[in-house]
Amino acid sequence: MAHSLTEDDIYRTSTQYRLWSFSPESLAAVRRKTHSLAIERALQYGAASILTAHESLRLIQRYSSLLLTTATHLAFPAPVKATAVQFLRRFYLSNSVLTYPPKEIYKTVLYLACKVEGTHMGLAEFARRISTEGEQVLAGEYKVMQALRFTLEVRQPFRGLKGVLMEMLNGAEGRVGVIDGLEDGRGVAETMRSLPGPGDGDRTKWTPPADGSVGMRHVQDRIQSAYSAARILLETPASLTDVYFLYTPSQLLLAALQLADSPLTSFYLSTKLAIESPARPKILATISSCADMLASFDQSQVLTKDERAELEAKLEKCRDPGTKDLVESFAAMRQDGSGEDGLEDEKAKKRKGAREKHEREGEDLFGPSLGANNG
Amino acid sequence: MATSPALDVPVEPPSKRQKMSSEPEFSSSPAPVADLAEQLDAQERKMYVKGKKIGSGQYADVFSAHLVSDLKRLVAIKKIKVGAEAKEFGISYDSLREIRFLQELDHPNIIKLYSVFSTKSQNLNLVLEYLPQGDLLKLVQDTTNISYTPADIKSWMLMLMRATYFCHQNFVLHRDIKPNNLLIAANGEIKLADFGLARSFADPFQVMTYNTVTIWYRPPELFFQAQFYGGGVDVWSCGCVFAELVARDVLFRALPENEINMVKLICEKVGTPTEDNWPGVSKLKGYVTPSEYIPIRSKDQWMMAFRAIGETGVDLLMKMLTLDPRKRLNAEQVLKHSFWTDEPRPSRLEDLPRKGGGVVAMGEELTKMGGEIPYGKARGDKVARKIDFGA
Repeated sequence: MAHSLTEDDIYRTSTQYRLWSFSPESLAAVRRKTHSLAIERALQYGAASILTAHESLRLIQRYSSLLLTTATHLAFPAPVKATAVQFLRRFYLSNSVLTYPPKEIYKTVLYLACKVEGTHMGLAEFARRISTEGEQVLAGEYKVMQALRFTLEVRQPFRGLKGVLMEMLNGAEGRVGVIDGLEDGRGVAETMRSLPGPGDGDRTKWTPPADGSVGMRHVQDRIQSAYSAARILLETPASLTDVYFLYTPSQLLLAALQLADSPLTSFYLSTKLAIESPARPKILATISSCADMLASFDQSQVLTKDERAELEAKLEKCRDPGTKDLVESFAAMRQDGSGEDGLEDEKAKKRKGAREKHEREGEDLFGPSLGANNG
Repeated sequence: MATSPALDVPVEPPSKRQKMSSEPEFSSSPAPVADLAEQLDAQERKMYVKGKKIGSGQYADVFSAHLVSDLKRLVAIKKIKVGAEAKEFGISYDSLREIRFLQELDHPNIIKLYSVFSTKSQNLNLVLEYLPQGDLLKLVQDTTNISYTPADIKSWMLMLMRATYFCHQNFVLHRDIKPNNLLIAANGEIKLADFGLARSFADPFQVMTYNTVTIWYRPPELFFQAQFYGGGVDVWSCGCVFAELVARDVLFRALPENEINMVKLICEKVGTPTEDNWPGVSKLKGYVTPSEYIPIRSKDQWMMAFRAIGETGVDLLMKMLTLDPRKRLNAEQVLKHSFWTDEPRPSRLEDLPRKGGGVVAMGEELTKMGGEIPYGKARGDKVARKIDFGA
């Protein structure tokens, strides 16, 4: 008998789960490997002082942060930002900053993320607005695709968070079905009104009314504030830490909500997870550890402009000379590989020949061209 | 959850699902110079032996190929051409969409993407399932050699609807369902292909393009330039395929194929969309209907043309081709319809007619871009391919 897929089954078929989810140990191992490969290579081309693994990571974090500000500046929607940042972070799991400095790669991943998420901006305009050349943006595109192992989907927590928001708002208005342990919609609305206020460290801006009488309107405000606070957590700290590699989107959003307003989130979870469910302790522990990771992020950890300049100066001295000019080296690679496509080259030549013949004939027919400077 | 057997998706549990390409681990032993990504790419590339070219189009060449480790395991390799537009925006939107979605979707009725690799010359190669029996369009059109029964139609439609339902469950809109995007496997299974126009469901209030779906299979809301829509667009296209399978002719074959003729045809065959049958329709930006009002066609009228699929079949068809997308059945509701469990039972795979053009048809099909009309002479399809704002 065929069985029906659960949401978990479906998530497990995603490339994010299959290729881009790690345990803390396996994540560290991949990075170690990539860094040691880069060192090996650096010794081959004779670099002096080599960037440490830690310094590389900080540089990547700094560029993740730059991606967020650039994308905001260009008014790209949240999914583009999250996709771009994850592309960058995934790229550097198998590539070292020594070989491909983020200064160049970040442009490529941002444009690729833009295309993947269907946000349309012409290459010329994009290049102009980040003060570069279109050629520079595209130079690393294949390299990035390869490093992403040709998987382009980044599963994100934003839609799920919106879903929770709507569910909770419905609950506040008493528009829910029967939930275990609570008689009816009115019961839910009432329970939500009588929840304890947010905890001390909670990020929500909402505070209970001075007179202590919480009405439906207050609960709605509370939910909206929790949503906003969670969203901020999902935009920045989630992008600048490893949480996407270690947790699922739903764990992420519940962790963010918990940091935003813990009593409200506990209530929400209680409507989803029966107290006696054997999975409950494990799920709650996972959410908590994810929340800890998000909470531990502090903007001051991100490199300042000067620190970045310092690191990049150091990087300049140990970077791979073979990939210095991306535009050129990729053009060369294409040339190199064109032997594999001999057939097509011949065709291209034929086409070119035909085109030139046409042009010659055209000239005969209409006389020589007027020349570019005559008009 | 499933109340109808039609809804049960017959997939193997993920743990059992076999990928033809073993997922290489990051820990595989490296040559000192190539970086990890390059090594993995090379590993994939070396798994296949490219055979002869079976199709060539403007956007891609398709080769038959087999696994190095098993000569009998055939695959199709679609090599995407780097066109002039590559200078304008790099890897095309279509290629990115196709790769993005096929990498995620694993279902018996969706063409499988086993792997992607690149060559030094920076070409993308998609390793796809080998589907040697051509496509459904060839079967529909070959009226002299191929005959099929209502049970066959039911079987094909069931596979199509399962694929569509699975896409929607994964928040993917296909946006180009039509008979020639339905390829046929050696065992007779139908495989939904060509995800070049697909997109993931938009968030509420996010604008989408209405300029999508091959024109003959495009639903009325897109002709009226709706900017917010959902799975209903695919269900309409499936309805068109359903009708085409029965009548062996395109249901809304507007010639010349422009929007005005299409709307006219939909009004004639289904009825004129009005505020009565579709509240809010008149507020859509592109809402125009012919001056002559045509009432919604009755079931009896539908029965005259589609008697072959019986009363329940016609009931389902009408509900898939309902003008108002909010009243149109969604993919899940379609699968829960009693049509699937009514007599006759859907044909077994081994009893389905084959020969939908064979390998050549697959080769041709895979070289195409979405939105193209496959019927020979018909030209421009009005789907904006390059400048696809807000897709």
